[in-house]
Amino acid sequence: MFQRIAESSVIDGVDIQLDGEIYHIPVTLSVAAAVLFIKGDEEYRRHVDGHARAPFCLMGCCHECLITIDGEPNRRGCLVSVAEGMSIERQLEGSQDDG
Amino acid sequence: MGELCQAEIAIIGAGPAGMAAAIRLAQAGIRPVVFDMGNAPGGQIYRQLNAPVIGETLSGTDYYRGRRLLRDFSRADIDYRPRSQVWWGQCESDGVSLGVVDSAGASRWHVHRLLLATGSMERSWPFPGWQLPGLMQAGAAQILFKEGGLVPEASPVLAGSGPLLYLLAWQYCRAGCAPQRILDTTPASRYRLPLRYLRGAWKGRHYLMKGSRMMLALKRAGVPIHHGVEALEATGRNRVERVHYYWRGHWHDQDTSLVLTHFGVVPEPQLGRAIGIPYDWHEGQQGFLPVRNASLQARDRVWIAGDGGGIGGALNAEREGRLAALSMLTVSANDVADRERERRRLEHRRATDLAVRPLLEAMFRLPSHWLSEQPDTTLVCRCESVSLGELRRAIEQGAVGPNQLKAFTRCGMGPCQGRECGESVTRLLSTVQARPPQEVGYYQVRPPVQALSLGELAAMATDA
Repeated sequence: MFQRIAESSVIDGVDIQLDGEIYHIPVTLSVAAAVLFIKGDEEYRRHVDGHARAPFCLMGCCHECLITIDGEPNRRGCLVSVAEGMSIERQLEGSQDDG
Repeated sequence: MGELCQAEIAIIGAGPAGMAAAIRLAQAGIRPVVFDMGNAPGGQIYRQLNAPVIGETLSGTDYYRGRRLLRDFSRADIDYRPRSQVWWGQCESDGVSLGVVDSAGASRWHVHRLLLATGSMERSWPFPGWQLPGLMQAGAAQILFKEGGLVPEASPVLAGSGPLLYLLAWQYCRAGCAPQRILDTTPASRYRLPLRYLRGAWKGRHYLMKGSRMMLALKRAGVPIHHGVEALEATGRNRVERVHYYWRGHWHDQDTSLVLTHFGVVPEPQLGRAIGIPYDWHEGQQGFLPVRNASLQARDRVWIAGDGGGIGGALNAEREGRLAALSMLTVSANDVADRERERRRLEHRRATDLAVRPLLEAMFRLPSHWLSEQPDTTLVCRCESVSLGELRRAIEQGAVGPNQLKAFTRCGMGPCQGRECGESVTRLLSTVQARPPQEVGYYQVRPPVQALSLGELAAMATDA
């Protein structure tokens, strides 16, 4: 649902794992942006109320982008940049700690 | 992990205010520590400008204006700490204690003076379906654009009010993905307000001309702009499929997979509130602002600069950063006269720049009864999925203030800690109880104001 514009400058890429599959992603993207870029927003996260949710503010406020990064759950995906070899898992089961 | 670190001055945030303050302090021979949630300096406005992804023809010139600030910041002697979150703060007689988490773990700091340059956030403005995937804030869309040159594959609908909506629409047009339409909740008559605010309009002509140029470009590109949209609703099964809007006395439907909303920005309040700074309701800005004196000081040893202290934009933030730095310096100054001249010059430019604000506030004023007119099923607290109907019932059952409403319904108890619902709750109580927002107040904000793991907390507690 998001695409890179042709005019944007060439950016180095990194290989990340998203739910076990490897993707080559521009290094400037946050984890949340990378997941939106690869998968779109329909299956970003499942909320405790059972409904699908996706990033809303992308600047650290809304906490809608919670995701598992390198095994650590509930990280704000918008605050973490992608890095070579990073493993990302979407939380598709309804995922807040206190849920 | 729990070591105690010290600094003369700490700055939280590396947007224009934080950067400008740090640069000015470094010029005076002080090496401030700057804690920043971002991966690189710039804040939201100058995000990714350290290694730009989009060119000036797409971003507009205001973005690239930040390069000078970034250059000076990178050359100055500053202890810059990206990817650090300040989750706790406490004012003490000899300074301020801070709890910081970064990739190395948790640490505790003691600083003599503190500058909060934590900026603003987009105002939450609930309507049915605003929690669906496929609905994002305009600022989020801008972040994707700046961070990776990402634009929507399918033409989006832009909805809401304020300059950012038109900036984003203009940028998307330049990038070849013009919006399907703009649903502007501002009545068309408001765009004639500059005639009634002549002084502000003249002093702020740069902003107004930029706005009219953008609107003209959008009209030329054939983007329909509907002024005076009175209600919105997003619907779809698992994501947004359609947006409905009430305009000119009827409901209209528009198929779309992406709705980008903007309803202005408000100061991000969490840390300021957590360290006990009082916030007052500002009628013009329709939100709570921290109480500061003329030197931008909020309490003993604490200053606030930039949009976190009230919405004034990037140029104002930069000036406030320098002013706050000067105010922090005067304690030990020996060249008082020079600094006084510098301060007066900055104050003068700041006042000229801010003269347009009352006009902009009146132009983009949001209807204060919006929330109370939404249907009961509208979510107010996204984190705990608390609906407007639940809040209404709790108020009927005797929840008289925001904190009781929180205890009754869990509204504001989720991971975002009330950032997204706090002012909505104040607005709702204000309308229902016919009390001014100032009297209704806001949640009691308590640390941790940033999410941290129990392990990080435990490491600090045992060692410090």
